[in-house]
Amino acid sequence: MSRPVLELSGISKSFGAVQALNQVDLAVDPGEVVALLGDNGAGKSTLVKVIAGVNSGDSGDILWEGKRVEINRPADAQRLGIATIYQDLALCDNLDIVANLFLGVEKTAFGALDEVDMERRATELLDSLSVKMPSLRVPVASLSGGQRQIIAIARALLGEPKVVLLDEPTAALGVAQTAQVLDLIERLRDRGLGVILVSHNMADVRAVADRAAVLRLGRNAGDFGVEETSYEEIVAAITGASDNPVSRRASVTRTEEA
Amino acid sequence: MSGTEETGAPAAGTAARTGPPGAAAGEAAPQPPKEHGAGDGRAGRRIRQVRELGILLALALLVAVTTLANPGFLSGQSVRDLLLGATLLTILAVGQSMVLITRNVDLSVGSVMGLSAFAVGVTFVSLPGLPTPIVMAIGVLVGTLCGVVNGVLVAAARVPALVVTLGTLYMFRGIDYWWAGGRQINAADMPDGFLGLARITLFGIPLPAVVALAVVLAAGWYLRNYRSGRELYAVGSEPAAARLVGIPVDRRVFAPFVINGSLAGLAGVLYAARFGTLDATVGTGLELEVVAAAVVGGVAIFGGSGTVYGAALGALLLSTIDAALPMLQVGSFWQQAVVGLLILVSIGLDRLLAVRAARRLRGGGSRGA
Repeated sequence: MSRPVLELSGISKSFGAVQALNQVDLAVDPGEVVALLGDNGAGKSTLVKVIAGVNSGDSGDILWEGKRVEINRPADAQRLGIATIYQDLALCDNLDIVANLFLGVEKTAFGALDEVDMERRATELLDSLSVKMPSLRVPVASLSGGQRQIIAIARALLGEPKVVLLDEPTAALGVAQTAQVLDLIERLRDRGLGVILVSHNMADVRAVADRAAVLRLGRNAGDFGVEETSYEEIVAAITGASDNPVSRRASVTRTEEA
Repeated sequence: MSGTEETGAPAAGTAARTGPPGAAAGEAAPQPPKEHGAGDGRAGRRIRQVRELGILLALALLVAVTTLANPGFLSGQSVRDLLLGATLLTILAVGQSMVLITRNVDLSVGSVMGLSAFAVGVTFVSLPGLPTPIVMAIGVLVGTLCGVVNGVLVAAARVPALVVTLGTLYMFRGIDYWWAGGRQINAADMPDGFLGLARITLFGIPLPAVVALAVVLAAGWYLRNYRSGRELYAVGSEPAAARLVGIPVDRRVFAPFVINGSLAGLAGVLYAARFGTLDATVGTGLELEVVAAAVVGGVAIFGGSGTVYGAALGALLLSTIDAALPMLQVGSFWQQAVVGLLILVSIGLDRLLAVRAARRLRGGGSRGA
């Protein structure tokens, strides 16, 4: 087993009297998709923010490729090689795909924008992800939700990150578009990137994740290999009990079928 | 075109999903690799060009009709007058466009222009020995300072631009009135060398029009080719996204206000040179005409799109209408109605083009999200 590229241990974070994270551990290997699951208020978003450097943890260690690091600002995380793609897509609707991909990191030649170089690199990037776009020079406003999400993910890859953090990437997408995004996540794994996928959608998790790390009330509530764990077990970990509405419903349906 | 292929792709993606993860890439591979950007690559650009071409067409039509009705319209002197008239509006429209692109608006330009024009006059009167270029620089500087005031209030104090510039519209005008105190400065108070600037021509084109052209080309080049220019569009398109990728949003909002102030100052200087008669009312009510020119030229009022070339053409069209309608014996009351109609038509046209382009790109499908 390879060494984790990113490893968090004993992360705690409180906002006033609220203990949002309590001694949380999380690790992701290169070429592994780890799903981060949990009910609302379980601490997923806080953990994402700690990794992305938006908030820093009160205590606990972050190990990057085995070395202890501090992540206090978003720029720290980016420098290490952690790319975060937030739920609200953060694309500029009126700009075309190339401009959006290179927003903030435009290539210049003699002080002026080098459109030819940027378009060539954009084509290479999207080709390497097997992504097809109708055109690179249309405003992203005319793209579908899935295509926009793909552009947002592709943009994060320009910085050549080693870990990609996706916050609910399929939340607003239809079935076919979700499939496109999941395909892309698999390609990220094939490239050897560590992927942390925050999701509510168990179907997505079962489809692409290798492991599922569950948070409950700010604590670790289980770390499962997705292949060998049943849907009910994961739901039980999320809700904190095997006796919960979801699994009860599932067992009722099963008895009826039998 | 590629629109139909685009709708095909998601279906292929779903098929791939049913197989084991490793097979997904393999199944996708047999699809012939498609060149991104072919064909429709020009679609986005074509929309913008259609926009500017439309204005040029309207302009040509207007000139043709007016010339038929009154052959004197295309005489050298008439064209020179027309260009001179369009100069101020063009310069102001360029500055306004840069502000509009960042999703802000500057309503104070008329007052700024008036203030700087009056400052030029007063400086000539009170410091007669000062060289003309320095006086002109003072005029531009006054405009720049006004722009800084606007920019600080909008970018640093985070007050909406509409409110800030509505306030400074009255404030700068008030300062102008207080300063002028009912006084009028006439051509006799200013040196002939300064007043003669408007009469100098380069290859038959009046110098102020050449200055306006230079301003348009410089601003257009900057917005098209520089990172910070591109970032103005990003800020106007999606401020939150711009901030997330690390663009200094406040600075990008601040700068156009300062540039716009400087250009309004320049317009004030040119106004003083051309008309020679200055009082506290110079430029009153000009702001809405400037915004109209930019909007007719395709600069969206909600930011993120449009070019200064379009805005300049819009300014030229509005000036030509002003000059042509009297020659066509159309009453002056109708002029404003025509301008209003033009704004509505151009916005309607934009909407139509956007909807049609979107439909073509999505191959008739709706957006999934």
